[in-house]
Amino acid sequence: MTADLLLQAVVSGLLLGGVYGLVASGLSLIFGVLRIINFAHGAVMMLAMYTTYWLFTLRGIDPYLSIVVTGPLFFFIGMVIQRVVIEPNRFAAEHNQLLLTLGLALFLENLALVLWQGDFRTVRPSYASASFVVGEALVEVPRLVACGGAIVMALALFAFLRLTDVGKAIRALSEESEGAMLMGIDVGRIRAVAFGIGSGCVAVAGALVTPFFYVAPDVGESFNIMAFVVVVLGGMGNFVGALLGGFIVGLAESLGATLLPGSLKQLVVFALFVLVLLFRPAGLFGGGRGR
Amino acid sequence: MAAEVFGGLALGLLVLAPPFLPPYFLEILISVMLFGYLGAAWNILGGYAGQFSFGHAAYFGIGAYTSTLLFLRLGVSPWLGMLAGGVLAAAFGLGAGYLSFRYGLRGPYFSLVTLAFAEMLRVIAVNTKAVGSSLGLVIPSREPAPVNFVFAGKLPYYYVILAMALGAVWITRRVARSKLGYSLLAIRENEDAAEASGVDALGMKLRAMAISSFLTALGGTFYAQYFAYIDPTITFGPTVSIQGLLQAIVGGAGTALGPVIGAFVLTPLSELSRAAVRGRAGVDVMLYGLVLILVISFLPQGLMGWARRRR
Amino acid sequence: MNRRAFLKTAGAVAALGALPSIGRAQAKEVKLGYILPVTGPLAFEAQLSLNGLQLAVDEINDAGGIKALGAAKLTLLPGDSQNKVELGNSEAARLIDQGISALIGPFSSLVAYSVRQVTEKNKTPFVLLAAVADNLTEGGLRYVFRVQPNGKAMSTLTMNNMFAMAKAANTPIKRVAMMHEDGNFGTTMGNHVEAFAGKLGYSFVQRIPYSLKSPDFTAELSKVKASKPDLLVISGYYGDSKIIAETAAKLRIGVHALVGLANAAYSNPKFIADNRELTDQLFDGNYWHNPQSPRAKAVFAAYEKRFNSTLTSHGVQAYTVIGVLKDALERAGSADRDKLRDALSKTNLADHILPQDAIKFDDIGENVNASPALLQVQNGKPLVVGPARFAEAKPVFPVPRWHG
Repeated sequence: MTADLLLQAVVSGLLLGGVYGLVASGLSLIFGVLRIINFAHGAVMMLAMYTTYWLFTLRGIDPYLSIVVTGPLFFFIGMVIQRVVIEPNRFAAEHNQLLLTLGLALFLENLALVLWQGDFRTVRPSYASASFVVGEALVEVPRLVACGGAIVMALALFAFLRLTDVGKAIRALSEESEGAMLMGIDVGRIRAVAFGIGSGCVAVAGALVTPFFYVAPDVGESFNIMAFVVVVLGGMGNFVGALLGGFIVGLAESLGATLLPGSLKQLVVFALFVLVLLFRPAGLFGGGRGR
Repeated sequence: MAAEVFGGLALGLLVLAPPFLPPYFLEILISVMLFGYLGAAWNILGGYAGQFSFGHAAYFGIGAYTSTLLFLRLGVSPWLGMLAGGVLAAAFGLGAGYLSFRYGLRGPYFSLVTLAFAEMLRVIAVNTKAVGSSLGLVIPSREPAPVNFVFAGKLPYYYVILAMALGAVWITRRVARSKLGYSLLAIRENEDAAEASGVDALGMKLRAMAISSFLTALGGTFYAQYFAYIDPTITFGPTVSIQGLLQAIVGGAGTALGPVIGAFVLTPLSELSRAAVRGRAGVDVMLYGLVLILVISFLPQGLMGWARRRR
Repeated sequence: MNRRAFLKTAGAVAALGALPSIGRAQAKEVKLGYILPVTGPLAFEAQLSLNGLQLAVDEINDAGGIKALGAAKLTLLPGDSQNKVELGNSEAARLIDQGISALIGPFSSLVAYSVRQVTEKNKTPFVLLAAVADNLTEGGLRYVFRVQPNGKAMSTLTMNNMFAMAKAANTPIKRVAMMHEDGNFGTTMGNHVEAFAGKLGYSFVQRIPYSLKSPDFTAELSKVKASKPDLLVISGYYGDSKIIAETAAKLRIGVHALVGLANAAYSNPKFIADNRELTDQLFDGNYWHNPQSPRAKAVFAAYEKRFNSTLTSHGVQAYTVIGVLKDALERAGSADRDKLRDALSKTNLADHILPQDAIKFDDIGENVNASPALLQVQNGKPLVVGPARFAEAKPVFPVPRWHG
C-alpha cells in the first residue's frame, strides 16, 4: 500500500465528497424544516441532469452556465412538489411521509424511463478531458469544478440562512418549530421554500456532476443513498455538518476502494452509516436532531 | 355476515379454481400469493408493531441462500433448509433489532438502518465466491421430488404458497389477539406511554421482529425452489423490500388480510398497466409510485382500513 | 421426404394431442416464435433484435419463402418477456401452444435458463439470442442451440486475438489487469479471463469488480496502475465504461491498450459519437458482422433503408439466427420440431455474415466456430482489426496515448 495510492484516494475522495456534501446539504435542509427524509432527492437530481443534457444538446449551453437556469427552475419545481404532494400530508405519521417520498421517487424515476428510455446520454464539453497532477495524484478538472462549485453553493446557502430574513425563518423553524410559529412566521410558505431550496441545491449538484458522469433514469440512486449517509453523519438539520460529512464519506468510500478487494467499498460506507446511526445518531458533530 | 360469506367464497375459489386456470393466470396467482405472504410477514413488524423496515430483503435473502446452499452443498431437503433459514434469519433479525431498538432507533432512523443492513448483505454476497457471487446459485432441474421441494408443474407450488399465505394471515390474527398484539398496539400508538405503563417495549418489538424475519425467510426459500435461481440482487435487493411493504400499506398495514388484499390489487394493476402501455418500460413501477402517493394521501389505513370505516 | 411421409408424421404428432396447427402450417407458413424483453429496461436492445429478425424474415419471404416446404412463408409470433422469468415461461408455453416450429430469444440469460426447460419438455428447438451464460447449453439438453459466442468463447478468443496482434507488433503482453462490473455479466467474463491466464501465458495481475452505480473509479484505477499491467480489460456497461476510460486516460496507467470485453460502450456507435476523442483507439472484443462479406454490406444497406439507422450487432445476431433456421428448414423439408431439431444439429452453413467459418453446432448446441470480432475505434468508427482474415483495417498497437 503505497503513499501514492493513499494520496490519490484522499484527493479523489475529497473531490467527490464535496459533491456529496452539496447533495446532502439540500437533504439536511429539507429534513431540518419538514422533518421528512426525502427519498425523492436523487430523482430530482436526475431530472436536473436531464435538463442539463437537453440544454447542452439542443441549445449548446455549457453545463456550468446552465446552472443559472436549472437552479431556479428546480427551486420552483421543488416548491410545487412540496405544496402538492407533501404539504397536504404534513400531519401524517412519520413513516407514512417517508413512504410518500418513496412513492414520489419511484414515480419520477420511472417517468423519466418512460419519457426518455433507458439509454445513457453523455454531456462532454470541451474541457472534459482536462486534468493535472498534484504530486502523484490525478485531479480531473470537471471533478474539481464540481467540488468547488459545491463548496461555493454550500457557502452561499449558509450565508443565505444566516443573513436573510427567509433564511433566519428557516433556521428558526428548523430549530424550534413551535416557537417559530408563535413568532408569526408563515410556516407553510417557509416549508415550501425550504423544500425548494433543497431541491435547487441538489439540482445544482446534478448540473455540476453531468460533465464527468452520464445521464440515465437511475442516475440519482448513486447519490441518493450517499446523501442519507452523509446527512446522518453530519447530523440531520446540521448544514455545515452535511458538507463536512460529505468529505468524510467521500474519503471513506475512496479509501475503502483502495484498501479493500472487490466492490466492498460500499460496505465501508454502510458500516459507517450503521455505526453512526447506532452510536451517534445526532451526527459526528452533534447539533443534529437526534433520534 | 356478508364479509364471512364473501371470505368463504374467496377461499373456496382460491382452493378449487387454480387447476382450471390457464398457466399464465396461475403464474400471476402464485406471484400474488407470494407478495401477499411477504407483505403479511412484514406487516407483523411494520403494521402491528409500527416499525417500518425498509430492509426485509435481508431475511428473504438469508432464507433463500441458507436453504439453497444446504441443498446444493449438503443435500439437505429444502423443507428442513427452510426452517434453518428461518431460524438464521430470526437470529439476524434479533441481532439487528436489538442493536437498533436498544440504541433507540425509531421511525425513519429505524427504516434507514434496516435498509443499510440489507444492502450490506447484498454487497457481501456479491463479493463472496463461496455463495456464487453475482452468478448466483442455480438449482439444477431434476426429477420432481416433493420431499426435496421440487414439484412437477406449477400447481403444487401454488398450494404451498397458498398454505403459507393463509398461515401467515392466521399467525397475524393470533398475534393481534394475544398479549403480544396488545402490547404492540400500545407501542405503535405511543411507545413512551406504553413503556411508562410497564410494557417491555424492547422485548415485544424483538418478538415481532423474530416472527416477521422468520416468516420472510421462508418466503425466500419458496422463491428459490420455485424459480430455481437466486442471486444477490434478486434476494437482497431493494425490490423485495419495497414489494413486501407496498402490499401491506396499500392493503392496510395493521390488518391481517390487508397484505393479501393489497397483493390482489397491485399485481393485476401492474400487469394491466404494462399491457396497456406496451413498449414503454417503467410504466408499472411509475404506477406503483403513484398508487403509493395516493394511498398515503387519501387512504392511509389502506384498503382494509377504508373498508372498515365504511361499515 | 415425400408428402405422404410428412402427412403421416404430422398426423402422428397431432394424434399425440400436440399442435394441430402444424398441419395447417405445412402448406402456408412456418411459425417461428420469439421472446424478447419488448417492454422493460431492455426494450431498446430488444427492438434492435426484432428489427434484425423482421428484416431476415421479410427477405426470405420476398425471395419465395422455404422452398422445401412449397414456398411456405415464415411468420414471426411475438412474445414479451418483460425480462421476467415467469413471463418468459408463460410466453414460451403460449407460443408452443400456437404451433411454433422453433423459439428464438430471450435475451436475458436468467430468462433463458428457465425457458429452455419449457422448450425441452415440449421438444421445441430453442435458438438462443443474446443470452451469454455458459451453462445454458449444459445439462444434456437436446433442443437448445446458440449461434453467437458464449461467455467463454467471447473471452478466450478475444484474448487470443489481442495476443496475436501483440505478437505481430512485437510487443508481448505479459501482465493483464481487468476491471468488470460486479454483476453476472462482468463476473462471468472476469472468471474466464482469469482462468485463461495459464493457457495463454499471462499473469493476471489485478482483478477489480466494481459497483455499476459508482460515480468514481479513480481509486480502483490507481490500484490497476500500481499493478503495472500491459493490458487492461474492461467488461462493463455504458456509463461506467465511460468513466473508466476517461479516468484511465488521465491516469496514464501505462498499458499497451485498453480493451473492452463484450463491452456495451466501446464499439457502440452512439457512445463513440457522444465521446469522440475519448474513444480513439479503444479496442473491444464483441459480437460483430464480417465487414469483408459483400452480403453483409447488402444487409447493412437494406437495414439502413428500412429502419433509418445503422444495423447493430443485436440485429446481426437476430438476422443470422433466422438464416440458420431457414437453412435447417430447407434441409429438414419439414416444419416438424423434431425434424427441425435434427436438421439444426447437422448445420454446416457458410453463407452468413458473421466473422467466422461455417456455422456448425457441437453436441450440446454451441456454435463451434463462433467468434467475436476484435474491433478498434479509428477516426470515430469501430473497425474490425481481427481476426486477420476478416479485418478491414490494421490495428494501432500499442496505443501511444495509453503508455505511461
